[in-house]
Amino acid sequence: MLISDASKIAFVRTTLAALLLGLTALIVIVLFNLWLVHEAGVYSERVNAARLQRTAIIDLQNLILDAETGQRGYLLTGNPAYLKPYLEARQNSEAQLAGFMSIMNGDPLQKADASKILPLITNKLAELQQTIDLANANKRDEALARVKTDLGQALMVQARRLFSVMLQRSEETIDAAVRDEQQSIATLRWVTICGAIFIVIVVGGSTWVVMLYTRRLIHAQKEIGALNHGLEERVRERTAELGRANEEIQRFAYLVTHDLRAPLVNIMGFTSELEESLKVIQSAFRSTHTSGEVNPTDGPAAEETRTAVLEELPEAIGFIRSSIRKMDRLINAILKLSREGRRVLTPEALRVDALLKNAAANVQHQVAEADGEVEIEAKVPAVISDRLALEQIFGNLLENAVKYREPQRPLRILIRAHETPGRRIIVEIEDNGRGIAKADHERVFELFRRSGDQSLPGEGIGLAHARTMMRNLGGDITLASELGQGTTIKLNLPKDLRPLLAIQNGVNP
Amino acid sequence: MNPHAKPVKIVMIEDDEGHARLIEKNIRRAGVGNEIIPFVNGTDALNYLLGDDRSGVASSGRQQLILLDLNLPDMTGIDILQKLKGNKHTKRSPIVVLTTTDDSREIQRCYDFGANVYITKPVNYEGFANAIRQLGLFVAVMQVPETA
Repeated sequence: MLISDASKIAFVRTTLAALLLGLTALIVIVLFNLWLVHEAGVYSERVNAARLQRTAIIDLQNLILDAETGQRGYLLTGNPAYLKPYLEARQNSEAQLAGFMSIMNGDPLQKADASKILPLITNKLAELQQTIDLANANKRDEALARVKTDLGQALMVQARRLFSVMLQRSEETIDAAVRDEQQSIATLRWVTICGAIFIVIVVGGSTWVVMLYTRRLIHAQKEIGALNHGLEERVRERTAELGRANEEIQRFAYLVTHDLRAPLVNIMGFTSELEESLKVIQSAFRSTHTSGEVNPTDGPAAEETRTAVLEELPEAIGFIRSSIRKMDRLINAILKLSREGRRVLTPEALRVDALLKNAAANVQHQVAEADGEVEIEAKVPAVISDRLALEQIFGNLLENAVKYREPQRPLRILIRAHETPGRRIIVEIEDNGRGIAKADHERVFELFRRSGDQSLPGEGIGLAHARTMMRNLGGDITLASELGQGTTIKLNLPKDLRPLLAIQNGVNP
Repeated sequence: MNPHAKPVKIVMIEDDEGHARLIEKNIRRAGVGNEIIPFVNGTDALNYLLGDDRSGVASSGRQQLILLDLNLPDMTGIDILQKLKGNKHTKRSPIVVLTTTDDSREIQRCYDFGANVYITKPVNYEGFANAIRQLGLFVAVMQVPETA
């Protein structure tokens, strides 16, 4: 099971979505926290304000009580020393009242009640002042009578009721603010817990997805490894099989050509015997017909004998001989190929550019005769291959380039060599020769096949031989050509021959 | 040739009768008149050389030169070469391998197994005739030991 593109995209999407969700949850929690902090500030302000109110209420109440206490003490004793609390209260009253009002200012309900208290306090203070003034004027009885009117008492009762209402209200405000604050803390707790759970779920989910994906990835990797191994194994098997098949073909070619040779020896031998016998007959014929001409009186049979002995038999023998020679050449070509195929390759470190230069130097004479030049652009590392095979291939191809040149123009041969990925070397031999017709591009690599004008001598072996050798080296040879323009032969060979040989010999590299 | 010795017989093992005939003709042309005993397969040749029991006693006391082709219908010439060189009665008889093969490994193997001479039959008849005639001249002057 390999991981499909769709599942890869799904994985990326899932992980990304989980990340975004987690991030969103985190942002929500942070924002909520910020809001709650702000709220907490608001609550504490509310609490502070209510506490200030409470303090102001209590202080004012105390002020009035102090003032009353001072008045009562003074009226009872007549001692001015008892008047001290009153005097202090009286002195502070204005400022405290102003402060009280300003504190209540922000709260409409409290302010309403405070406005009600204000005249009560003023009246009370005025009542107190009147009694004290009477006492100071030695009208103590009048002052006491004034007290006994309960006017001051009534004012105080009213004021106390209002004070307690206001006090109650500020207590409630404090309680409410504290409750709200606790509420918001509870909310914060829940939001945090829920957010944390959510984040944990998201992170856990994505971790699970990642783990799942990683596991599949590892599994897929293992599978690829196994496949790869199997593939290598298969390639090795196939290569070995090919090697065996190739060996069999070489062996077959060897046996066939070898067995063809034996009858050829007979044909050749008895043809020679025939020729010898013919010479005997001819000399006998000549000795009876010294002029070389048949006597007309001998009849038509004598003329036929003359033609047969002096013309037809030698001609037939000549054809037999030339055919045998041709057959012998062909058999030798096949033998050469099969022998090359069976040759044990000896890999060694070789410099391709040096080999090319050498091959070019070997044809330098013919190239110069054709008014041509050979250019080599080879920047390749050393290869490990068979020297003899490479020398033969390069030599063969350069000879072809020289041989099949276009006589109308000076010969140009350009040799390029470079390394390609996969540890292979490419050698290209480009000429401006007569070229090969498209139909013959593959055919010229076949044994005994030649392309184009057959006026130049040749057996049609060279390229077949080059291909056999290239394939033995684990490479290949191809060509690109335009008739009349030139030909580019492309060689592709492995940088190192040894792994191939190891496979062919059945050894694990 | 040693006048006291028995005349050397040439044992020719060659499946191709045409070749056999050409070889005989050319040996005769070299002036060699020794008896030639031809065999066209390995079994008959071994029957003659080693006897039906393959002990080799059959060859005892003979003076013989063996011309051996490697390609035989019933066995390879190499088998015969090994048997003859491995037998105490026939191991001293000179064996001339005369075959169409010019494969270097084959040549090495033949000499490894004790072949005395290896000659490739040239396809070119002049070459062939020449080689056989020279072999004939060589046979005419060589000493062939009597087999044990």
